[in-house]
Amino acid sequence: MAGFELASGGPLLSVRDLRVRFVTERGAVNAVNDVSFDLHEGETLAIVGESGSGKSVTAKTLMNLLPRTARVSGEVRFDGQDVRALASCGAKHFFGVQMTMVFQDPMTSLNPVKKVGEQIAEGLRYHLGRSRGEALSEAENLLADVGVPEPGRRVSQYPHELSGGLRQRVVIAMALSCRPRLLIADEPTTAVDVTVQRRLLDLLDGLRRDRGMAMILITHDLGVARGRADEVAVMYAGRIVETADAGTLFGDMRHPYTEALMRSIPRIDDPVHHRLDPIPGRPPELIDPPDACAFAPRCRYARHDCHDGVPELSGSVGMHRFACLHPTGAERGQAALAANRAAHSSSRDGDGGKDGSGNSGKPDRGEKPDGGSGKPDDGGSG
Amino acid sequence: MARFLARRLVLLAAVLLAVTFCGFAAMNLLGDPLVNVVGVLAELDCEAIAAGTAQDTAVDAAGSDCDTVAAAKAQYHLDRAVPTRYLLWLGDMLTGDFGTSFQNDQPVSAVLREKLPETLMLLVMAQIVSVGIAVPWGVIAAYRANRAFDRGSTVASFGLLAVPNFALGVVLLYLLALRWQIFPSAYESGDFASRVFSLVLPAFTLGLPLAAGYQRLLRTDLITTLQEDYVHMARAKGLPPMRIMFRHALRPSLFSVVTVFGVSTGTLIGGSLVVEQIFGIPGIGREIVTAVVRDDFPVVLAIVMVVAITFVVINFLVDLLYSWLDPRVRTR
Repeated sequence: MAGFELASGGPLLSVRDLRVRFVTERGAVNAVNDVSFDLHEGETLAIVGESGSGKSVTAKTLMNLLPRTARVSGEVRFDGQDVRALASCGAKHFFGVQMTMVFQDPMTSLNPVKKVGEQIAEGLRYHLGRSRGEALSEAENLLADVGVPEPGRRVSQYPHELSGGLRQRVVIAMALSCRPRLLIADEPTTAVDVTVQRRLLDLLDGLRRDRGMAMILITHDLGVARGRADEVAVMYAGRIVETADAGTLFGDMRHPYTEALMRSIPRIDDPVHHRLDPIPGRPPELIDPPDACAFAPRCRYARHDCHDGVPELSGSVGMHRFACLHPTGAERGQAALAANRAAHSSSRDGDGGKDGSGNSGKPDRGEKPDGGSGKPDDGGSG
Repeated sequence: MARFLARRLVLLAAVLLAVTFCGFAAMNLLGDPLVNVVGVLAELDCEAIAAGTAQDTAVDAAGSDCDTVAAAKAQYHLDRAVPTRYLLWLGDMLTGDFGTSFQNDQPVSAVLREKLPETLMLLVMAQIVSVGIAVPWGVIAAYRANRAFDRGSTVASFGLLAVPNFALGVVLLYLLALRWQIFPSAYESGDFASRVFSLVLPAFTLGLPLAAGYQRLLRTDLITTLQEDYVHMARAKGLPPMRIMFRHALRPSLFSVVTVFGVSTGTLIGGSLVVEQIFGIPGIGREIVTAVVRDDFPVVLAIVMVVAITFVVINFLVDLLYSWLDPRVRTR
């Protein structure tokens, strides 16, 4: 792949051709395939996708948190340094200081047997050599920064004495303690109450801005990315299927999967009792994937040629890139959609149609390009 | 905390009552204690002799056999019913009087004072050995799970668990005491240091199989803990692996080990019977063997009671450990 811009001026984080495979008894799982992206200092990249799309594995790869069974290839550079080499030689004071991560579930990401203050102070003491007293008072300040009420009392409490929302704030305080330049937030609000999700996201965004920190925000919700991300990468079946700056992606999306994700988000201006538009079927298995577009079995734009090889991601890193033969909003896509509709309505007279008629009035989703035989989630046997 | 302690003390009392009652009943109902004190004289029909219908076997200057029997009965309350005897024994015991041994007329409390320290020291040393070996062993095995060291240590630990105490003891004795002559081959009384030193081999004999068991438990629990999010979080914080191991993963992984630690005290006391024989340690293990064989029930009962107290106290400490291990237990 193309060379990197090194050191200053270049991106803070640069990922090239990242691949992760897990060898299991049932076969090799290709969890991440050919993922490349850049992230600049102070910017936010949102990685969006369903569960199983490889977004969390990507994050864990960056943090060197994968189990030993994982086979990783590709290059990850942080400010010019080779992160995977740093990790394998056990470099001190890199993770936690330069880049760190916040996990999905605050109920499990705090150690139940250690006081909250100790856990926050730990990084400060180890990385920055603070004394116990200094570190604890800094922990108190950090708790105040992340909006924890009565920080002085909280530092000496145990995690089980705090609510889920408070615990996630503690986790954030812990992650930010050594002023990292990059924070990876893996679905930071999925496991907390809906009522505090938005506040937590805004808090993270504010902290990021105050500290000039870069952030990778991993989410399954495009709505979360909107307004908070500078760049968005949509992942499906271990690949980036579309990536662009946020304005372009939301205004001019090209991949049918991005479109489908967008349509499955409830909107405030939807009519009451409006049915959400779910994506039919399930994400494909990642064991021995077929040599085809992984989304094709669930895609209403899919044609026969979608089953001949994996579509390449167009363009180079930094541009609006998408991996689709029949992109939405383009002539080829509209033609494919029209052809599929025609084929679908003629085959429905024949075999009754598998989608049922509950969707009348809206375009049917999930038509098979080859005549509607089989279920939409048959794993892409094309 | 005070309520917790009080509940524990009541439990201790209940356990001791049950244990001693069962022990007392067994010793009294399965054989006639009188036989053990006066031998064949127990078969004399003293009432008939007193009535003049039978002849006393040996009347000499020391007095009649019937007098001997009567004295023994009075000394050990053998003329009373068994429940009454139990209550009398219990009352004496509470005032610190455990009765006298049938074998040599020594007070039982003196026997305990002489033999108990050696055994307790052996048990403590055995547990120190087992935990001291099991923790680093389990940590390394979990850290390198399913690699060469771990696989090897699995084999080794099953080996240690399968070998009976006496075999392991004999092997250690042969290698370390006879062949290389590092440790004494038999117990040496004397000052504290030499007693501790001569208990090293017995402690390893008892402790190694325990260590193997603890190691298995700790390894399994650690492997589970190492999958926890908070361990990933600690790694994301950039802490080095061994610091994560000892500061984050070890404590939450100790529950099974601590539980088995408490329970294994019983096994350990059983094991010390054998080990004390092999190494010639004058402890209560040896004492109870001879006492049981000779139906010396004051000694047996006293030792049973000591064992029960030790067991209950250790498990009480284990309960205290739980609340140290997990703060969530404290608020319950």
